[in-house]
Amino acid sequence: MLLPYLLVGSTLFVLGLVGFVTRRNLIIVFLCTELMFHGIIVNLVAFGRYPLHGAPTLDGQILALFLLTVAAAEAALGLALVTLLFRYRGTLDAGAWTELKEE
Amino acid sequence: MLAEADTALPVALYATLPFWPLLGAVLVGVWIAARRDPSRAHLPVVFGVAVSAVLGVALFVDLGQRHVDPPPATLAGHFESAETGAGRQAREPADTFTAGRAPVGGAWQNPGFTHTLYDWISLGATQSLEGGQWISVNFYFDRLTGAMLLFVTVVSLMVVIYSIGYMRDHHGHPARGYERFFAFMGLFVFSMITLVLAGNFVLLYLGWELVGLCSYLLIGFYYQKPSARDAAKKAFIVNRIGDFGFALGIFALYMFIAPLAQNYENPLDYAVVFKYVAQLSEPQLTLVALLLLCGAIGKSAQFPLHVWLPDAMEGPSPVSALIHAATMVTAGVYMVARCGPIFAGSDAALEAIVWVGAIGAVLAATMAMAQYDVKRILAYSTISQLAFMFVALGCSAPDSAVFHVFTHAWFKALLFLCAGSVMHAMGDVIDLRRFSGLRHVLPQTQKLMLIGCLTLAGFPLLSGFWSKDEIVHAAFEHNTALGLIMLATAGLTAYYTFRMYFLCFHGPKRLPPEAGEHPHEAPPVMLRPLYVLAAGSLFAGVLLGVTLKFSIGGSFLGFMSPHGFFHSYLHDSTVAAGEHAGGGAWLMYPSALVAVGGIWLAWTRYGDAPQAEPDRATFGPLWTLWNAKYYFDEIYDAVCVRPLRALGDFCFATDRNGVDGLVWFVAALPRGAGFLLRFMQRGALQGYALGMVAGLALLLLLWSWMDERPAAPDSADLSGLQGHAALVGRHAP
Repeated sequence: MLLPYLLVGSTLFVLGLVGFVTRRNLIIVFLCTELMFHGIIVNLVAFGRYPLHGAPTLDGQILALFLLTVAAAEAALGLALVTLLFRYRGTLDAGAWTELKEE
Repeated sequence: MLAEADTALPVALYATLPFWPLLGAVLVGVWIAARRDPSRAHLPVVFGVAVSAVLGVALFVDLGQRHVDPPPATLAGHFESAETGAGRQAREPADTFTAGRAPVGGAWQNPGFTHTLYDWISLGATQSLEGGQWISVNFYFDRLTGAMLLFVTVVSLMVVIYSIGYMRDHHGHPARGYERFFAFMGLFVFSMITLVLAGNFVLLYLGWELVGLCSYLLIGFYYQKPSARDAAKKAFIVNRIGDFGFALGIFALYMFIAPLAQNYENPLDYAVVFKYVAQLSEPQLTLVALLLLCGAIGKSAQFPLHVWLPDAMEGPSPVSALIHAATMVTAGVYMVARCGPIFAGSDAALEAIVWVGAIGAVLAATMAMAQYDVKRILAYSTISQLAFMFVALGCSAPDSAVFHVFTHAWFKALLFLCAGSVMHAMGDVIDLRRFSGLRHVLPQTQKLMLIGCLTLAGFPLLSGFWSKDEIVHAAFEHNTALGLIMLATAGLTAYYTFRMYFLCFHGPKRLPPEAGEHPHEAPPVMLRPLYVLAAGSLFAGVLLGVTLKFSIGGSFLGFMSPHGFFHSYLHDSTVAAGEHAGGGAWLMYPSALVAVGGIWLAWTRYGDAPQAEPDRATFGPLWTLWNAKYYFDEIYDAVCVRPLRALGDFCFATDRNGVDGLVWFVAALPRGAGFLLRFMQRGALQGYALGMVAGLALLLLLWSWMDERPAAPDSADLSGLQGHAALVGRHAP
């Protein structure tokens, strides 16, 4: 059954998206991106198991493993950046960073 | 006929003539760059011009040494003389002759030789596969070259030496721009020698333009003064008008000659042009001649393009001397004389030259009568004398024209340098109303000036007398009315020259305050060149223009006859001397009478340098007209300058508002769009994310809306996603 998996995946994605746009805390924002990531991974695995044409393959799961690796590396980098940003401003509020604003 | 092997010194040596002053100019440039003591910066240029002068004199003598063959009337006559000539003629290249319509009884014979330095511009293969036509850097030597270079180099040398003293203040310190002045002078002499030596029309044009450039630089030498800047621009632009015609003339000449020229004959070389010019039709020749005349009118400051020359007095006096005597205005006369074979083929062009000259002579002489600036009077006299030369050119007496150029160079340089000496002593005041009686202050200058004035006035036996007389005689032969006009103008010349002389040197001693406590005579370095020039003024005519004859008939004072050595000398050149030998001696009596009469009239009216202007009372409104120079400047201003300026303003406005406006509008579009969208750039990360989400949502909405419309059944695979049943149905347990 493809549809329930897709529903779960897209629910995760939308939760992450809403969190990314609305939360102020940089760590939470960052975690929300992870949430979106995982929503997509669920989608990939589901499509691998129930492809629209032909027999099921392992492609989706292989791609999922790759994405997990990337996500791990990205999490390490992203959390380090957040730590640095915190050191500069002493706050984790995303609204504190608007340097590129057009005056 | 002259051939390259005929000269005593190697021709390659003569070919270095123009480059010595250039070398001097370059060395002065190095001098400036090295920041050496400016007070000796004249040395390289004086040296360079001196070498040129030595070579110029040597060339004149060298070219004159050779026996002058009478021009054979026919081709057969030439070969007869070739057989009798001792081997020399046999060396002559056989290509000198081709059949063709002869201008004056016989095919054109090359009276000189062309010395090629190097080939410059290839004209490609026009006649055969192996094209050998070039525009070369080559020099043409014949006796016209020799005669021109003699006075160009020697007079230039005198002027340059004089400048050493003139371009200093009363304490002997060099004036500002001393080095620059000498660098330009060297360049000027180089340009003129190039112009005279050039062996083809392109090189002639190069020299022509270089002379114009140098005159621009030197007239504007005191560029701090707005009037000097304006005069320099005026000289350059007015010359440009003439040069435009001159360039068109050269183009036309190329167009006509190129189809005739054989392979390995450069179609713009003098030797080739004059060889084939007889094959052109008269309208073609008239077109070319009139266009070339345009250039001559501009460069030689003839009516109607004479307006630049009086203003050119803004430059230092030696520059005026150089422009008027040696290096600039003579170029037009030289060019017309050089192109004699072209002009001889067109009666219309000759007639045009005559009347340009006659009108210019009278206008300039009358204008000179009502001026107060010594240098301007001299400038108008130059225009008038050049007009005399043009009359001679038009009357088919180019040898007389060249002779007058030759004698004129000496006395006009003398007069200008004397005027410079007066300025030097008077603290740069040159207005005749502000001083008089200078014979008590500047005795040597006064004597030298008297010699110059007498020569210009055509006093009997001085050089101006002989040359001017020949021209008047040629004018009488052409047309009696023309002859009378020229004779009357000669009288006016004597009158205005001595009006200037008496106002300046006679009468009570009056000095302007600028002269200082004790105005003094010029230093020897300035006076000695003047003595050389005075000697030239006194004796050049007698030595070169007169045949001594010890018979009574057809001569002046029983023993002198005009059309002497100089004319037989010029016989061997492209000038194509007319047949006047010995004629016209009767004219010398009225001519002498007119000259002396003019001087006497000036003496009775201006002998005591009256403060009031007697002429103003005599001539009334005419005098005002002359004083205002016939309002030429005002007329040109109204007819040419203002409309052109209005056109320029219009074009500028069109460019600024129309073309630029369009460009600005294009540039303003993205700027305006950016201004409208600027508010979206908030700098907050999440705002951008929201924008992306909104955009994505919009796209998805759009997509679904497009997909709701009836599509082809097999339009897209993804359309299967729309139906739950399809998804569920494909589920494999």
